[in-house]
Amino acid sequence: MADGRSASTGNPDDGYLVRMIGIDKYFGRVCALSGVDFGVKHSEIVSLVGDNGAGKSTLIKILSGFHRADKGEIYFEGKKIHLGSPRDAKNLGIETVYQEQALAPHVSIPRNVFMGREITKALGIMDGRRMIAESMKTLEKLGLRIKDSRAMVEQLSGGQRQGVAIARVLYFKAKLVILDEPTIALSVKESQQVMDFMQQLRGEGISVVFITHNLFHAFQIAERFVVLARGELLADVERKDTSVERLSQLIITGRQEVK
Amino acid sequence: MAREKLIARLMGYKVSFTLLVFIALLVIFQVFTPNHTFFQRANLYSLARLAPDLGIVALGVGILMICGEFDLSIASTIPMSSFVFVKLLGYGVPLWLNLIVTLGVGVVVGLGNGFLVTRTRLPSFILTLGTLLFWRGLLYASSLMMPIGIRAWLKKGSWLENLFAVVIGGVFPVQAVWFVGFAVLLGVILHFTRFGNWIFVTGDNETAARAMGISTNRVKIIAYVGVGVLCSVVGLMQCLRIESFTANQGVGFELKAIAAAVVGGTSLAGGIGSVLGIAIGTVTIQIIESGMILLGLPAFGIGTFIGAVVIMFAVLNKYISRWSSR
Repeated sequence: MADGRSASTGNPDDGYLVRMIGIDKYFGRVCALSGVDFGVKHSEIVSLVGDNGAGKSTLIKILSGFHRADKGEIYFEGKKIHLGSPRDAKNLGIETVYQEQALAPHVSIPRNVFMGREITKALGIMDGRRMIAESMKTLEKLGLRIKDSRAMVEQLSGGQRQGVAIARVLYFKAKLVILDEPTIALSVKESQQVMDFMQQLRGEGISVVFITHNLFHAFQIAERFVVLARGELLADVERKDTSVERLSQLIITGRQEVK
Repeated sequence: MAREKLIARLMGYKVSFTLLVFIALLVIFQVFTPNHTFFQRANLYSLARLAPDLGIVALGVGILMICGEFDLSIASTIPMSSFVFVKLLGYGVPLWLNLIVTLGVGVVVGLGNGFLVTRTRLPSFILTLGTLLFWRGLLYASSLMMPIGIRAWLKKGSWLENLFAVVIGGVFPVQAVWFVGFAVLLGVILHFTRFGNWIFVTGDNETAARAMGISTNRVKIIAYVGVGVLCSVVGLMQCLRIESFTANQGVGFELKAIAAAVVGGTSLAGGIGSVLGIAIGTVTIQIIESGMILLGLPAFGIGTFIGAVVIMFAVLNKYISRWSSR
């Protein structure tokens, strides 16, 4: 993964890992996105914020290959790409962690981490020992120690579950990780834990898109904020140029700031 | 400690409770049957000969339940396979080809169910109730529900009978060997291969499985075909054992197989279960039947007791999963 990244940073692409330009998306006659630009730089945490129905998840679903844009271009590591399926996005290293949707609750942690990409010996027999060792090692990288490696995901706390889902994308060398409301159902302490995971990801050189309703969470770790409203780009600002109050004003009014 | 861990793993999730009840039943029946006939050879022999019929089918049905679907049409696949086998015997088709075509019946029914369920995304309980009645109607119309004996075309001692209906050494029914063989094979596939993991996650969280690139439709279709083939094997086995096709073969298996899986700790919602559990669940249901008969209780009322046991286990499973998730 190191070579892929170092090669791309040499690109004359302003340090952007991914850029989406002029994205339109219609569902029937309903316009979900219109002319949205969105980009994430290398090793950057970008927070995507906006009210319900603003188009956040539509934009992210296009980026992760679930939906196709009706108009617009996507560049990844400086190259124009076409995302026809979630598989395409994954192959590029774009991974999405959906809240509560990523894990099988009655299956063990290693089997969840390796879901769909199990390590096998001959004849499709899983290498259980290696799957346990690798998943525990990756969890420790995130600062998460779980005693019982055979524990089912159901037995974990909400924060730990997010950790397992994040360990998966870390192990499979994602370049861009999209977290859809990862702190929504969590306690204060668990939310903190999840934000620590995001810091760890950035530390590993991975870019993060953090979708949230909670501006206080976003403000703690994101370097940049992209605000959507009614399918349009409202603002794209660095943390140093804004504040929680100004962002929430933007989201509530759904209008550009009057200067 | 290490041994305890190993035992815990072998028992898997919930299986231990089924095993406890199973052993308790054995003791109860042995103690309370007149002259303690439960463990006598004749009874064990008939259990070993009959339990595999339901057991082999239940293995398939239970695994299908783990991946989140049901199959009621098994009660049609079993007699249809038997019917096709006997008809082909009558046409003088070579036995090996006949075997392939008979197993093909299960493949066809399984594919039909699989595509229907994955395309429509409707509850499989209803869809396979439909295919159960559909195939049964075709079978009844074409057989006119008349039994057809096999002895007119098949001499005693053919290789196919040696394979599926012989009594090894005059004491051990080969059906039990097939049951154990299928259980071991399917157990390895379900618990140790990557495809097995796909079965679990498909039933446990289909959205997640799809997001991870697992073709859950393919997993389900393969599971349906597996159930179909197992039904064909059982249909053939029964036909060779009773030396005849009868239209009511397999009647009632559709729900008994689900009952066996539930008694064995399989979740009705998918994602939880084990092959060992399903196997013990089947045998538990069978010994209740045979034990009740030996106890001299009214045979027609057996359903009441099996029903009570099924409900007990459904409730137990719920609480066990609560305890274990604490």
